[in-house]
Amino acid sequence: MATATGGAPGALPQHGRVLPAFGIIGWRWISRNPASAISPILLPFVFLYFLRLISPIALFPLEVVGAMLFTTINVGNWVLADSATWRIELGIQDLFVASPLNKMRYLFGIAFSNLIAAAPALVALAILLGFATPVSPLGWAVLVGSITVLWVLFSAIGIALSSRLGSYREVWPVGSLAFTTLGLLSPLYYPLSVLPPVWREVALFLPATYAALLIQGTLGLVPQSSVELALDGAILIALAVIGTVVAISLYRWRTSGAG
Amino acid sequence: MLRTEHAPVRAPWVPSFRGLGAFFLCEFRVQFHEKISIVTSTIVQVVVLVFVGLLAPGLFGVALVGAIIFSFFTLGGRVQNEAAYVRVDHRLNQLYLASPLTAESYFFGMALGVLVAYLPPIVILFVLAEGLLLMSAATAAVLLGVSLVVWLFAISVGYVVSTLFKTMRAIWPWQSLIYTLFGVLPPVFYPLAYFPAALRWLALIIPPSAAAALVQGSLGDSTLSTGDVTLAAGSLVFEALVLFAFALYWARRTVMET
Repeated sequence: MATATGGAPGALPQHGRVLPAFGIIGWRWISRNPASAISPILLPFVFLYFLRLISPIALFPLEVVGAMLFTTINVGNWVLADSATWRIELGIQDLFVASPLNKMRYLFGIAFSNLIAAAPALVALAILLGFATPVSPLGWAVLVGSITVLWVLFSAIGIALSSRLGSYREVWPVGSLAFTTLGLLSPLYYPLSVLPPVWREVALFLPATYAALLIQGTLGLVPQSSVELALDGAILIALAVIGTVVAISLYRWRTSGAG
Repeated sequence: MLRTEHAPVRAPWVPSFRGLGAFFLCEFRVQFHEKISIVTSTIVQVVVLVFVGLLAPGLFGVALVGAIIFSFFTLGGRVQNEAAYVRVDHRLNQLYLASPLTAESYFFGMALGVLVAYLPPIVILFVLAEGLLLMSAATAAVLLGVSLVVWLFAISVGYVVSTLFKTMRAIWPWQSLIYTLFGVLPPVFYPLAYFPAALRWLALIIPPSAAAALVQGSLGDSTLSTGDVTLAAGSLVFEALVLFAFALYWARRTVMET
């Protein structure tokens, strides 16, 4: 039997176990702390309930899509909290650094474990969306694709921010400020057209705006031509790639501890 | 001289606030350095105000009043966070309580420090509300009064909840759960009339929505019967006082536990 030090390191499996391992971490966390599973689901639903009371019924499908995108953006906040917990409070990032993991696998692992916590909300909202408006197979594909792009981007932003925090006390306020602001500035819960002009210009620099426009257009919730939809998709991917690369370059992997 | 030689004799149910002023100042200074936290303390309120401003501008006044009440309510979450952080992460409570500070002063001094440090964004909301709604002195007094009672309720809940956990990570979801569920779902940011009529009584016994209903009634945004006013005001004061008394008792009982 190979031991940790006795065999050649190459003899041990080095690939393919990150996502299942982090998947178990994600599942264990929500199964042991039910509030952790309920709380992230709650906020988008509470906003949805509130919006349903104060806005025209015609906007409801658009608001459900907004809740799905907002939930995905919030995954970044949880990635921030988890990686900060493991680095600052538990001091186990050194262990990850010393393992065969690299920072990309670590990022995708944490992002995946938090996607598990978000999955019940996303599934419930998808069912609600199916009842609220007809969604074609292409519509579902665009929805899943956009959510995947935002999931990667905002997880990368979360882990990058987390690596810059020196105190655990900063986690909650920094996470709330960053991800709620990014979610709020984009027209997730309302059409872009209702935003004041300056705000609209700012929103056009944010990737979540294009995810919202793409999905709203594909589902027929806001009228858009196929050229506009293609352009929305291209800009979404371009901004997401740029954002992810910048976030990963800002992410400190090896300097764990209080700095 | 030993500290215990001249310790005043008092019945166990009588609270002692020895050291309150000093610990309030200490906690205020600690909290006031948390600029990001102070800024983010109104983030949900801003989100809701943006929603209302864009989608239902006619309700902006009601939402603004709700934002003030909600701001006082969420200070309970700040106390919950701070009490847990001091106890779980730093075990500083041991140090504080080895001093002449009493457990009651530790809890209430912390809550007062949090209140004063987080007042600036609330004052901004209050000025906005006054400018937009042109509240009478009586309505402003009702708003301030019910907000303080909501604060008393919230800090009591926050402090008691903070003692129930051993890790910070486990506390955050509960913070979000308690304050979003009871602060946004009931009619705090929207008129009482929008809430299902069959559950109106429920809205009138939940402290933040009871407070909001009283202010909405004072502003003329909601029509309240005498029974509604009695139920809202009575339950608000009763729940706040009972919870506060329990939190003082709980502070004495649990403050040294880690």
